[in-house]
Amino acid sequence: MRIIVALKPTYDVSQLKFDSEGVPLLDTCPVTLGEADKCALEEALKVKGSLGATVVAVTVGQSEAHIKGIKDALAMGADEGYIIKINNAWNISSITVANAIARFAVVTGPYDIVFTGSGAGDTHSSIIGPMVSALLGYRLVANADKVEVKEQKATAKCTMEDGTYNYEVEFPAVITVTSEANEPRIPTLKAILRSKNMQVKEIGPEQLGLSVEEYKDIKVIKHMVERKRVIMEASDQKSTEESVVKLLTFLKDEGVI
Amino acid sequence: MPGRELAEKVSGLYGEIYYSDLGPFDPLAYVSALYEVASSFSADIAVFPCTGKGRVLAGLFSAKNSRSTATDVYRVESKKNSLVVRRLVYGGKAEASLELNLPATLCLLQGSYAEAEANLASRINKVSKQNQSCRVEFIPKKVEGIEPDKAEVVVVGGRGIRTKEDLKMIIELAGILKGAWSVTRPLAVDEGWSETWIGITGLTVSPKLYIGIGVSGQPHHMMGARSSKIVVAINSDRNAPIFEECDYGIVGDLYVVVPEMIKRLKNVK
Repeated sequence: MRIIVALKPTYDVSQLKFDSEGVPLLDTCPVTLGEADKCALEEALKVKGSLGATVVAVTVGQSEAHIKGIKDALAMGADEGYIIKINNAWNISSITVANAIARFAVVTGPYDIVFTGSGAGDTHSSIIGPMVSALLGYRLVANADKVEVKEQKATAKCTMEDGTYNYEVEFPAVITVTSEANEPRIPTLKAILRSKNMQVKEIGPEQLGLSVEEYKDIKVIKHMVERKRVIMEASDQKSTEESVVKLLTFLKDEGVI
Repeated sequence: MPGRELAEKVSGLYGEIYYSDLGPFDPLAYVSALYEVASSFSADIAVFPCTGKGRVLAGLFSAKNSRSTATDVYRVESKKNSLVVRRLVYGGKAEASLELNLPATLCLLQGSYAEAEANLASRINKVSKQNQSCRVEFIPKKVEGIEPDKAEVVVVGGRGIRTKEDLKMIIELAGILKGAWSVTRPLAVDEGWSETWIGITGLTVSPKLYIGIGVSGQPHHMMGARSSKIVVAINSDRNAPIFEECDYGIVGDLYVVVPEMIKRLKNVK
C-alpha cells in the first residue's frame, strides 16, 4: 500500500503576540507540525505496521520550518519526505496548496490513501483535504476521529455538527484526521538519529506543472473584539462570594441575565 | 429534515431553491448535486456555513468551480469583479482582509449577519439522485433541552470538569439562566459526555451570554464562541488564554464558584 501524508507546519497560535500596531509577531512565534497533521501521520504509520505500507510525507513550502516538519515526520517513521519548493508558502492560496499536493500524488503515485489533518493549527480552514479529493477524483472521508484501514477499504467514525457518521470507503481515498484520532508516537532517540541520514527530497513547482497563486494585498492585523477583561479573584470564601455577587451585578447591568 | 420540507422553510428568501434527498452526508454525492445546480447557471459566489460539513462541501465545490476560496469570513464587500472579505485567522486572534476574484467560494461564520428577511416568489426544484461514493451510517445527536446554537445563554464546560457527574452543575446553571449547555470538543468526542460541543468542528454559537467553565480557551474552541456578546470565564488557571478574551472572569476553583453562582441566582429568582 502507498500512502501520502500531507503536512503543514503551523504557528502555535496560543503563543502568538502582536506589536502595538496590531501586527502579528510571526518571527517570534514557534512553528510546529499541527496536532491533527501528526495524528494523520500516526494513522499512516499504524497502517505501515499492520498491513505494510510505504509512507511518503510531503509539505508545501521550503522554509526551515517546512524542512524541520518533514525531518520530524521521518523521525516518526515516514519512509520518504518531500518539500514542494514554493516561496512565501504562508501566503499562497488554498487551491495552490491543494493543487501542489494533488499534482505531487499524480507525479509520484499512484497512491491508495492521502492522509492529512482535518484542519491546520493556525488557519483552520479544513478545506485542503476536500480540495485534494476533488482534484484527484479520490473518495473522501473528512474529520475522522477513528480510522481503521483494511486491505481494500477503510472505515472511519466522524463526528459532525449534527451527529456521528460511520463511513466505509474504498481506495483511493483522502482521509482527514482530527487531533482526537490517536496519540501520535514520540520518536525514539535511535529513530531521530537514523532520520538524520535520511534525505529531505525537493521537488519544484515546474516539475509538477504547477502555477502558484499568491493572495493579493493580504493584510493581517490583530482581531479586536472589544472585551472588557474585568478579572476577579476567588481564592477563599469571602472573595468568592464578593466576586460572584459582582459578576451577577455586571451581567444584570449588561442586560444578559 | 427531508429536503422538500427544508426547501419550503426557506421559501421566500430565494428566487430559486434546489433540494435533494440524498440521505446521510456522503460528501461526493452531495457535491455532485451542487455541481449539477451550479452548472445550470453561472454563479459568481457560492456561500457555505462555517460548519464541519459546510467546510467539506466548500473545499470540494471550490476545487472544481472557483479558484478563490475563503473560510471563517465575517464581512464581505463586493467590487466589480472581486470580493473584499475579512476573515478570522490564527485561531481568531487575528483578522485578514483579502481580495478574491470571482467566482469565489465563501464559508461564512454564523452570527456575522442578521437573518435575512425577504418575500420573494420562490421556485422549488428537485435535484436528481446522485451516485453514492461510500457506505454511510448516521447516528443523529440527541439534544436535550435548548439547542446551543439557538440559545441566548450558553454555558460551556471544559477540561476543568472532572467527571460526567460534575456536568450536572453546568446543566443546572444553564437551566436557571434559561439557556443551553454544551462542552468543549474533548469532553464530547473523547469522553462522550455530550452530544454537542462548541468549536471549529462543532457548533458555532452567538448568544448574548457565553459562560466558559473550566474552559482554557483554545483557539479551536473559541472560534465557535467568538461572536458571543458577553463572554464570562471561570477558571483556576490565571494564565488560561480565555481570560485574554473575556468580558468578565473569575480566577478560582469552579467547584466553589459555580455552586456559589447557582445559590445566588436561586435566591434572587
